[in-house]
Amino acid sequence: MIKLIRRRLAVAVPVLFATSVGMFLLGASSPMDPAMQYAGAAAFTTSPENMAELRANWGVDDPLPVRYLRWLGNLLQGDLGWSTTRHEDVAAVIGARAGWTLLLIGITLAVVLAGSLLLGTIAAYRRGGLLDRGLRAGAYAVESMPVFWLALAAIAVFSLALGWFPAGGLTDVRATGTGVGDVAHHLVLPVTVLAVSQTPWFLLFVRDSVAESLRDDHVLAARARGLAGRTVLFGHALRTALLPFLTLVGTHLPELVGGSVLVETVFSLPGLGAVSVQAALGSDFPLLAAITLITTAMVLTANLATDLAYTAADPRVRIDG
Amino acid sequence: MATMSRPRSRVPLLAGVLAVATLLFAGCSAASTAESGAAGDTFVVATSGEPDTLNPVLGYGSDGASLIFDGLVARDGNNALVPALAAELPRVDGTTVTATLRSGVSFHDGTALTARDVVFTYESVLDPTVDSTLRSDLDMLTKVEAPDASTVVFTLKYPYAPFLQRLTLGIVPAKALTGQDINKAAFNQRPIGTGPYRVTSWTPGDRLQLAANDAYWGGKPANRGVVVAFVPDDNVRAQRARAGEFDAVELAPKQAAGFAKTVKVPTADYRGVMLPMKNPVTGDLAVRRALNAGVDRAAMVAGVLAGAGEPAYGPIPPTSEYAVTQDPAATPAATILDEAGWVAGADGIRAKGGQRAAFTLMYPATDSLRKELALAVTADAKKIGIDVRPEGLTWDAITPRMTSDALIMGFGTPYDPDFVSFKLFRSHFAEQGFFNPGSYTSAVTDKALQDGRDQAAIEDRKAAYATFQKQLAADVPWVFLTYLQHTYVVGDDVAGVTPRVEPHEHDVANSLWWNINTWTRT
Amino acid sequence: MADLALARPRRRTLRLRSGHVGTTLAALVLAGAVLAGLAAPLLWPLDQSAIALDNIAQPPSLAHPGGTDDLGRDGLHRSLYGLRVSLLVGLVAAVVATVIGGLVGGIAGLLGGWPDRLLMRVVDTISALPHLLLGIFIVAMLRPSLGAVILSIALTHWLSTARIVRSELLSLRTRPFIDAAIAGGASRARILRRHLLPHILPKIALATTLMIPHAVWHETSLSFLGLGLPPHLASLGNMINDGQRSLLTGAWWASIVPGAVIVMVTLAIAALAARWRDRLDPRVRAELNL
Repeated sequence: MIKLIRRRLAVAVPVLFATSVGMFLLGASSPMDPAMQYAGAAAFTTSPENMAELRANWGVDDPLPVRYLRWLGNLLQGDLGWSTTRHEDVAAVIGARAGWTLLLIGITLAVVLAGSLLLGTIAAYRRGGLLDRGLRAGAYAVESMPVFWLALAAIAVFSLALGWFPAGGLTDVRATGTGVGDVAHHLVLPVTVLAVSQTPWFLLFVRDSVAESLRDDHVLAARARGLAGRTVLFGHALRTALLPFLTLVGTHLPELVGGSVLVETVFSLPGLGAVSVQAALGSDFPLLAAITLITTAMVLTANLATDLAYTAADPRVRIDG
Repeated sequence: MATMSRPRSRVPLLAGVLAVATLLFAGCSAASTAESGAAGDTFVVATSGEPDTLNPVLGYGSDGASLIFDGLVARDGNNALVPALAAELPRVDGTTVTATLRSGVSFHDGTALTARDVVFTYESVLDPTVDSTLRSDLDMLTKVEAPDASTVVFTLKYPYAPFLQRLTLGIVPAKALTGQDINKAAFNQRPIGTGPYRVTSWTPGDRLQLAANDAYWGGKPANRGVVVAFVPDDNVRAQRARAGEFDAVELAPKQAAGFAKTVKVPTADYRGVMLPMKNPVTGDLAVRRALNAGVDRAAMVAGVLAGAGEPAYGPIPPTSEYAVTQDPAATPAATILDEAGWVAGADGIRAKGGQRAAFTLMYPATDSLRKELALAVTADAKKIGIDVRPEGLTWDAITPRMTSDALIMGFGTPYDPDFVSFKLFRSHFAEQGFFNPGSYTSAVTDKALQDGRDQAAIEDRKAAYATFQKQLAADVPWVFLTYLQHTYVVGDDVAGVTPRVEPHEHDVANSLWWNINTWTRT
Repeated sequence: MADLALARPRRRTLRLRSGHVGTTLAALVLAGAVLAGLAAPLLWPLDQSAIALDNIAQPPSLAHPGGTDDLGRDGLHRSLYGLRVSLLVGLVAAVVATVIGGLVGGIAGLLGGWPDRLLMRVVDTISALPHLLLGIFIVAMLRPSLGAVILSIALTHWLSTARIVRSELLSLRTRPFIDAAIAGGASRARILRRHLLPHILPKIALATTLMIPHAVWHETSLSFLGLGLPPHLASLGNMINDGQRSLLTGAWWASIVPGAVIVMVTLAIAALAARWRDRLDPRVRAELNL
């Protein structure tokens, strides 16, 4: 296991490096002018010399390799750089927002996993039953709907018509701090919407693989031995289906992050989502690169974790780093 | 994965469609009103525009009413200048402007305001290493000095009539920023000013919390604080407004319909079509005049702006004392074109000497209002036999084409006619960035604009700007379409709302809540 | 890409079973959509920049079955054109993505060894980036346009095809009939043509089909963020985006009509693809014969 981790690390560093170079190249070919983005509406009344001074101050007109090396040098000294769209240290921008995005994604993932495992298993057990048909119908329907659309519908129903949950924000607008209960209340809708939009994928997968493993020899054997239905279902069939499911979670994580961008936008949550769109549009290299690297690192870690879980769940599996 | 389900797939499929339908319809039965609880006397306002810094030197609230800072002068409900940190309106003497500071003013941290702070503020703006776009507005300023602790002397390169209008810029404490990199100072997020409110916290992307400054020189605020919520998305803002979260909120005009108390605030913010002289079609005066006569401004105000606007005929807003009433063109568009020899072809599009009356109209793709105006112009132009092709682009794609393709543009400031128009219509700014991209050249306009800033006497200035407006109406370098109105929804129990003409830029500063320190609950 | 699964029909009876009804319905919806999309420019041409300010926000009526939007444009008419664009974007993007994925997966699966490991590492890296963010970068870089949107989708959606092709090839390589063919002296090209392609082509085609709905949603999401097609052109994403504003003022049809078109068509594609997959999957067929 240590060996696996070490091997993964050896791969992760070049991957992160390649990602950062790729991001810089992509950003460099963007025709957007960061000075214009910075000036906002004032750009239209600002003289061209004034704009040139801004660009000179930031060194954004330097050749790309110069900019990249400067950024890399600072990074190695622990300095993520200065965000030209947010006018703040990149570390501060990310520090203030990453927590909320992680919280949103974390809770959502937990809900999705628990929900899809439980519902998918039951649906597989009672294939063709009312629950199975209903769940699958719902899953297909939800899969056909854009997540921002679901979010708007949820706001219309649960905040406007019923008034159960707030329509957006992280805390009550009049709150002075971030109370746990307050935040939880505000996160119910975003988490639910994101979870609902992501669940069909997992749910259908669990349902199908459990259904398939119910026909596996060892499951049939367990059944033939006269074990109780529930034991067979959760102890044998689900266990077999769990392994491919674990890798699926890892590969599906970026999709979840993408969904969180849209959900954060609709619910005006101060997370990384909106700020990364802003960074992309304002060719904010440092912020863009930092967010990309952190996301990549996060996903690589998550992949490692699922692989470790995989080996733990099934000792026969050996994973090549 | 393989499945072994029973062969009843019709049910999931149909049920899926049904489930979709249910959700769709649930989504549109948006019922309203959840009453906001009486929340003491803290006001919650919401806006789409979030400043990216709270430092006036870097551009926050440069036109005053920033809630956190004060300038040497401020504007009252009629946008007339009144003294603020200056004890009286500064004295203008040719190229020298002298201001005497109000005594007994202190910053939120308790330090007293001195002339050194004022000098520091203006010198920072002029410093080329500071990332400030305000430098372009102060290009007439040579130096700022403080002969004593309560006197500030500005020296100008040339006499500039509206200079006092530039003194609304918020004053920052020199002590808090000296020796720091102003571009990156922590001050930009947690500023210290002299204004009616001090910042208690700012969560970018979420809200700004302000607490009353009881020691405010202009009197203790009538409420305990203000929360400014930042909600960039129009729909989300409207939905949260429906849920009763805000005491005052700016909404898109169409979305404000149905609320009990809406306030429409006139602005100096106009939209129009910039017609480049170098384009073979828009360079023809008859085409420009015909377009000016042919666009249906009333339909745009009613249809595109949902009534929240008024027709525009020139760059000086009707609310300004310099505005001259302009009559809509009397000659019908078709007559103008016929007389100039533009003859309709088989497809209804006119042509003259082999040149088809067709041109491209660019609009910034992210701006839905400009998109709709571009489509409205396209439809109107078609009726008079001019073929307009709208094209939605990003700014970087628009910029290099501005000299030859028409563009929906917007500008406007209510404070002085010199501010934007001087750069927009003077010939020597031709093709300089966004200043006069269409290369409009007119000796009469040039002289009128120059007179407007040279003359100190208001009557002379009025005469100059009257000439300017007449010449513009004759040359039609732009087809002005509409002035916008900002639409706000205000809570029933809020008292003290005093709308005043707003500029294009309005967020925390300069919105309906410019005087929120006097707002109370009934 | 989702491993979508719809129930397969009980084929041993001639009576039109419910399963067939579902499939028939889906096929009809899809055929109707494609026909409408193809025929629209001939039968019902649309002036993309036309508006009618005297006819705004009209609820559905006989004259305008899909209502009109806040610029007075006919919702159903524009939805048809939007469908054209969306299907075109979806199809082209899915095909491009499949070609990229098929090549990468094919090389990795056929060569094995270090090229395989390297390519799969590249695939892992790219799939570690959120697709939507990556798509946003690509469009921002190329400026929003039809081509940029297609490229943005293609460059973010080829990964799963690459994985499928590679794993299919790897598993085929261990099958006895390949060994037999090699032992029989068949050339590499012949093995590829005669034995490998027939096995993986249907799966690739299926993967492409399943990708189309995703491509359509991707386009919608980009439009929602203002990064899709130029906003005055009729695309389903643009229309939903425009229509959202009207949702609060009661003009529900402006977003419902294009939304319903997306949902119906993507559901139909997904359902047909799932049925098709059930037919293809040999294991399923084997079970049927049990």
